[in-house]
Amino acid sequence: MKPRTQTNRSHKMDVSASKVIEVTNLVKSYGTIKAVDQISFGVSQGEVFGMLGPNGAGKTTTVEIVEGLRPADAGSATVLGIDVAKDSRAVKERIGIQPQSPALFPGLTVREMIRFFRQLYKKSLPTSQIIELASLQESRNVLFRNLSGGQQQRLSVSLAFVNDPEIIFLDEPTTGLDPQARRAMWDVIETFRRAGKTVVLTTHYMEEAQRLCDRIAIMDYGKIIAMDSPQRLIESNIKDSAIQFKMKDYPGDQVLTSLPDVSKVIREEDDVIIYTNNIPSAISGLLAMASQRSAELSELSVRQATLEDVFLKLTGKRIRD
Amino acid sequence: MKAFTAVFVGRYKQFIRDRAALFFSFIFPIIFILLFGWAFQNMGTETFKVGLADQGSPRITTYIAVGLESVELEGDVKMFETERGNLDDLLASLEDGDLDAVIVVPAGIDALEPGQSDNVQVYYDASRTVNQQILVPALSQVISTIAQFEGKYTPPIGMNQQSVQSHELRYIDFLLPGILGMTLMFIGVQGGLPIIQQRQAHIIKRLGSTPLRRSTLVFGDLLFGMIVILASAALIILVGRLVFDVQMVGNWFSLCGIVLLGSLVFVSLGYLIAAFVKTQESAIPVVLIVNLPMMILSGTFFSIASMPAFVEPLIKILPLTYVNDALRQIMVDGTPLHAMTTDIAVLAAWAVVCLGITIRFFKWD
Repeated sequence: MKPRTQTNRSHKMDVSASKVIEVTNLVKSYGTIKAVDQISFGVSQGEVFGMLGPNGAGKTTTVEIVEGLRPADAGSATVLGIDVAKDSRAVKERIGIQPQSPALFPGLTVREMIRFFRQLYKKSLPTSQIIELASLQESRNVLFRNLSGGQQQRLSVSLAFVNDPEIIFLDEPTTGLDPQARRAMWDVIETFRRAGKTVVLTTHYMEEAQRLCDRIAIMDYGKIIAMDSPQRLIESNIKDSAIQFKMKDYPGDQVLTSLPDVSKVIREEDDVIIYTNNIPSAISGLLAMASQRSAELSELSVRQATLEDVFLKLTGKRIRD
Repeated sequence: MKAFTAVFVGRYKQFIRDRAALFFSFIFPIIFILLFGWAFQNMGTETFKVGLADQGSPRITTYIAVGLESVELEGDVKMFETERGNLDDLLASLEDGDLDAVIVVPAGIDALEPGQSDNVQVYYDASRTVNQQILVPALSQVISTIAQFEGKYTPPIGMNQQSVQSHELRYIDFLLPGILGMTLMFIGVQGGLPIIQQRQAHIIKRLGSTPLRRSTLVFGDLLFGMIVILASAALIILVGRLVFDVQMVGNWFSLCGIVLLGSLVFVSLGYLIAAFVKTQESAIPVVLIVNLPMMILSGTFFSIASMPAFVEPLIKILPLTYVNDALRQIMVDGTPLHAMTTDIAVLAAWAVVCLGITIRFFKWD
């Protein structure tokens, strides 16, 4: 990446930071379903902005309207000061988009594919730099259809950088990558952000969102139900710690809720999470209950509340990959 | 322009790696030409059959007959067989293709004085190149030999050539324009498949996230398709010429015009399929359902006159019927474009209707 004005996390909160994306009262319906329902938000330059939500929450539709891929029914989206509805080509010239699935020409090699995409833009980064970004130096002359799933994904993400964009939209960029490649991708995103550029990220991985994002919008049923930094989302929603375990022959929510100092219980099949502000008291209550009922208790762990807990609390759904 | 080049080069690289597309565009038509050409090559005889119509000069007629019969090819095969008869019967046989030439020996040629001369008349089918190149020179040589053999008191005998358009073409001359038309159809209708595949695999959506215009994508695809079609047409004509000596009688620009008009019709048909069929798996049978009836019914391998009457209305609708007819008229008869307005009008109508429906119903995602 070209070095630009160096920014870091402390600068991004500047009131003066200019908004590179501004979305106002966006609406999009498919038949009777409101996929996007009166959404407004802004993204500042240099920010990594995350969008979380269960499938069908409206994340992808929102992002695609902002990218200029589909028209909105009402409301407006402005990117880099350009009204997307009026001049989407000018917007596309300056942004990079990585769609969810690596959809590229199966019959072109890595190098040919990069050259192809470079020629679609007025300005572009050198082919070698994109190959390096994708870590595909050894496979540069391999046909796309012969690449592994992870290699295809890396090429697809790297191609979003081909026009040296000011904003990059990444839809599930690390899905299908092994942990090492995922970490490499995080490095790429952080380098990009350090160059003063903006990232809009949708992801299923809570750890990824928590680590990368400056701000997160949680969407459900076409609306933004919460938007803040990961830390503040956790602090303002869940003051308690989480105790997580597996339990066969589940005794019912009521039994667990009546344990001392337990504020909330969430269960999905054998997996149970209880929230408490008094860990020793809740645990001893839990263990006593389990031995009294001879219930099988396993994989017990105590942890701080995470984004995943916030997500569960707000949407009632668990994000799975 | 940069984007256009990218689309064009991208299509080219994928095409040369796509064995099925290469096969249908180049190998398939050549296999048909070679297979059918060789299978029907020996339907003609190596020995020419010549009819002699004696109109009152039996002496010279006999000399000519003896002279022709005495010419031998390798392996003691006679080059000519002769048959005497009256002129009308012989000409009828010539038109039926039972004879290769008819020589008319006029009255009075037996009794020519020294210093006088007269000509015999030769009828033959000039559309058969073998006649032009072998039969006529051989006849001419035999006749002039007789004139010398007759010595000083026999008059020189010349030869008048009279060509007759026989209804019987060589099969390969008939077949080649049909193969050309069929290939245009295969390449053109299949032209819709990459669009379906790219849409299905969300590649078009990915391209939609770049500044690439869809019109650039379509025109890049179209231009590439046209070049493949022209290359394939050139190959077909070249193989016909080199292997079977099939001549192109008509105007090359007329031929290009019909090739391009035909391609436009079939490419439009391919896009029409892409407007209604969502997946490549279901598109392949649809392409077959469109192509196979045309391949059989539209006079590619057999004259449409030999088709049963009940399919005639269908034959008269199919675009390949008109492409084949126009190509044949140009390549075999040298007919100019303005004499085939029906073919051109029907094909233009097909193109307009297909493109109109495509524009109305086509969806990019």
